[in-house]
Amino acid sequence: MDNNIIIRNMNKFYGKKQALFNIDLTIEQGMFGLLGRNGAGKTTLMKTLAALHQKKDGEVTVCGVPVEKAKKIRAMTGYLPQDFSMYPNMRTDEALDYLGALAGIPSQERKKRVEELLEKVNLTSHRRKKVKELSGGMKRRLGIAQALLHDPKVIIVDEPTAGLDPEERIRFRNLLCEVAENRIVILSTHIVGDVESTCENIAIMDEGRILWKGTVNELLENAKGHIYTANIEKQYMSQIKKEYIVTGMVTQADYTTVRLVSDAEPDLPNAVLTEPDLESAYMYCLHSNGCSVKGGEE
Amino acid sequence: MLFRLECKKIVRSAAFLIYCVISVLFIATNYYSDCKGGVYFGEGTKIVEDHELIMYGALNSLMGEYAANKYVCYPFGYYKAVHLKEKDQQKIAGYLREMTGTDEKEFEELLSTGEKYYVGMSDKPVYGFHDVRMTEGFSYDRFLEIMTDTDDMLGGGSDYAPDSLLALYSGVDMTDEELKEEYRAFIEDDKVTGGLARLFCDYVGIDLAILPVFVAAWLTSADRKRRMHELVYTRKISSAKLVFTRYAALVFTMFIPVVLEMIVALIQAVVEYNGESLDMTAMFTLPTFWLLPNLLFTTAAGVLITEVFSAPAAIFAQVVIWFKATITASRMLSGKIGRFDLVCRHNSPTDRSAFLMNHDNFIFSRIFWTVISLVLVVLAVYAYDAKRGGRFNGIRLFGKGGLLRRKA
Amino acid sequence: MASGCLARVVSSDVRHNFLIHYLAAAAVLLMTPVIFGLAELDRSMAALPLETMPPLMGLILLTPLLSPEQNEGILDTVRSKKMSRQLVTGLRVLCSLAVLAILIAALGGYMKYNSCDVTLGMCAGAFAGAAALGALGFFSSAVTDNVIVGYMVSVMYFFMNLFLKNKLGRFCLMSMSCNIKGSKPVLAAAALVLIAAAMLFRRIFRNEQ
Repeated sequence: MDNNIIIRNMNKFYGKKQALFNIDLTIEQGMFGLLGRNGAGKTTLMKTLAALHQKKDGEVTVCGVPVEKAKKIRAMTGYLPQDFSMYPNMRTDEALDYLGALAGIPSQERKKRVEELLEKVNLTSHRRKKVKELSGGMKRRLGIAQALLHDPKVIIVDEPTAGLDPEERIRFRNLLCEVAENRIVILSTHIVGDVESTCENIAIMDEGRILWKGTVNELLENAKGHIYTANIEKQYMSQIKKEYIVTGMVTQADYTTVRLVSDAEPDLPNAVLTEPDLESAYMYCLHSNGCSVKGGEE
Repeated sequence: MLFRLECKKIVRSAAFLIYCVISVLFIATNYYSDCKGGVYFGEGTKIVEDHELIMYGALNSLMGEYAANKYVCYPFGYYKAVHLKEKDQQKIAGYLREMTGTDEKEFEELLSTGEKYYVGMSDKPVYGFHDVRMTEGFSYDRFLEIMTDTDDMLGGGSDYAPDSLLALYSGVDMTDEELKEEYRAFIEDDKVTGGLARLFCDYVGIDLAILPVFVAAWLTSADRKRRMHELVYTRKISSAKLVFTRYAALVFTMFIPVVLEMIVALIQAVVEYNGESLDMTAMFTLPTFWLLPNLLFTTAAGVLITEVFSAPAAIFAQVVIWFKATITASRMLSGKIGRFDLVCRHNSPTDRSAFLMNHDNFIFSRIFWTVISLVLVVLAVYAYDAKRGGRFNGIRLFGKGGLLRRKA
Repeated sequence: MASGCLARVVSSDVRHNFLIHYLAAAAVLLMTPVIFGLAELDRSMAALPLETMPPLMGLILLTPLLSPEQNEGILDTVRSKKMSRQLVTGLRVLCSLAVLAILIAALGGYMKYNSCDVTLGMCAGAFAGAAALGALGFFSSAVTDNVIVGYMVSVMYFFMNLFLKNKLGRFCLMSMSCNIKGSKPVLAAAALVLIAAAMLFRRIFRNEQ
């Protein structure tokens, strides 16, 4: 039995507007990171994999099942939408039970699963709270619990850490890693740090296209020789930002240490080649594929 | 600037589109079709306010209803048969004896002269009286006192309410002379459009007392639904400016279809009355003065209730207000406008004199509802400002801390 | 699929999402004797309350059936589950129609008990009209993704009935009291068509299977 998600030449339109172009991707077991800026098409791709959207053409199979068989696909995928929400008047455990029923889990088993998952995502003490009374982090944990309910082979989580505080974010990432054993977990994010610590394989998307795919190490390797640091006097900073892609800045007393991406050695005094970090490597990847990223992320 | 953006937002919404469609449908099926081929002057009744006629009609009717102890009322605009308790029946009998000037024995005799018949499958008889006379020289004021008390006993909406007395018992068919005079007044005094404008307002006033609430509720709840409210809350703009701008945008955009309908009505009048000298402005001035308060109030109530409670609550409240103001209002569709009527009715292109008789009340009601509307908007500003500052989160009817929360 | 799951979904839906609407519809029933006289009415008089109040119940019961999922986050979450959305929506329609039938039966029974000339056919007619108005609200909210629009269309159609009556011909909800023949089957068919069209629309354009 096939355990991969295979996407071949997939296109997707919203009306006349093309949203995804010729997507070609193989996703294997373990954590898979889908990186891209806001509006890159990550959500569209993930919804298509979860059989919530219909593609126009191309082939998509999830563990051997073509994505057109929506019912089968839904039976084996768990999906956590970008802004997960649940009927606000339901209690936390009721909401899980309800979603379990929608997933077709028989009553006895459902009860057991709900208990287990509440425990796992640390919501047991909040189980009597109504959904609308949960904090952002708790809600997101409820979200991952519901995605795990029917023990799916594939879990798709869309921007799960956006808006969480650092502590919640780390807890959430660890939780995802835990569940990624013998499953496919696809995580989409625009935050590089989420991918860095958890995913082996990643793909980078922009404007509906896959720009790059491979491992984290390959991405770092790819950027080698293009990341520099330099100490810049403050009055030149705005010019530097115009000319280079600045991926990091540390302000000192009378100068600023910047980390920047450049194709060739920059024409700056004291510019030093450095080991790429993932964020810079990601920016380089976007840049080398012709995306406009200047002006930097400040 | 903000005003233009808000207008754009409203005009592009589904709620506004449907507002336009329903508004046009309503006016087309009522007014435009009524006025096709011109106004018909072949027959008509008029209310003469002849006290003798009224007392005679009401007395005979009350005799019949008393005899059967079945009083037909329309408390909410719908038929409802009221049966009185023995004590109240005694009181009615007392009134009847007083009006007919009979003692108990004579009254019994009088009662037995009623014509007895059965209606439908009911096995209970009803009685008809046709020639019972009031005692000579009975004062009309005393008669009105009795009728008012009787109507109260019956729970309102009976044939004996002062309004109904006029409409039911003192209408007489118009003579040819009178019809001619009506026609002359329509053409010469009202210059056609003046009369048509009243009929136009009668119909449009009905839908302006309900339709705007949907658009208002939609716009007011849109921010929250799109999770925009916090973004808007933190902007510099003052609550008063924001709420008033949105209110103005709602009123402005929703009045556009009404103006277009006025133009079409004027064109229709020009076509139908080709050759008469028409007043070209009357189709705009009177409807604006008549209808704007309806729109102002319905929108203001919608905005305020949505802000304080929720969109469905606003819709529900307005449905009740509308029901009260139209369906269950007085049975007189023309010739009677109260000082506090939200929906002024005058369901006739003619009858100019009756309208003028109520002119003071009409002016009063229009100003009254305009002022009320502005008060409601000011309240909405306060509610919005309090929500914005986190001092107030709206009143919830259900759910945690809700007024109507079910006991767990 | 285990039938226990269906039962759980239905009971949760009823308790958390629709109980309030059922209660509101029951409140309309309780309002009826306040507004109308309900005793000893002949056939055409009895038709009036039967054709005025049940449509209001219908619009309260059927219009908001898709409103719990107006929030996209909720919609995506429940859509990603195995159970078909259309099945859940269909069950909600059936529950609402069942409540509607019970309420109308209660009204008809009460009137019959008070010696009104009410027949089973009249109750069925009332049901057809109520379902048609509710289906109109359901359809409009399904197509526009907006419950307010759903209420707007159905409430206004109801009001147009109060004013226009005969001008609406066979689509008149008050056909028994206005003496329009052959209207109830048309209304029943309209209800079915509107509900089916709403489901079909959701299936094709909102990808709800």
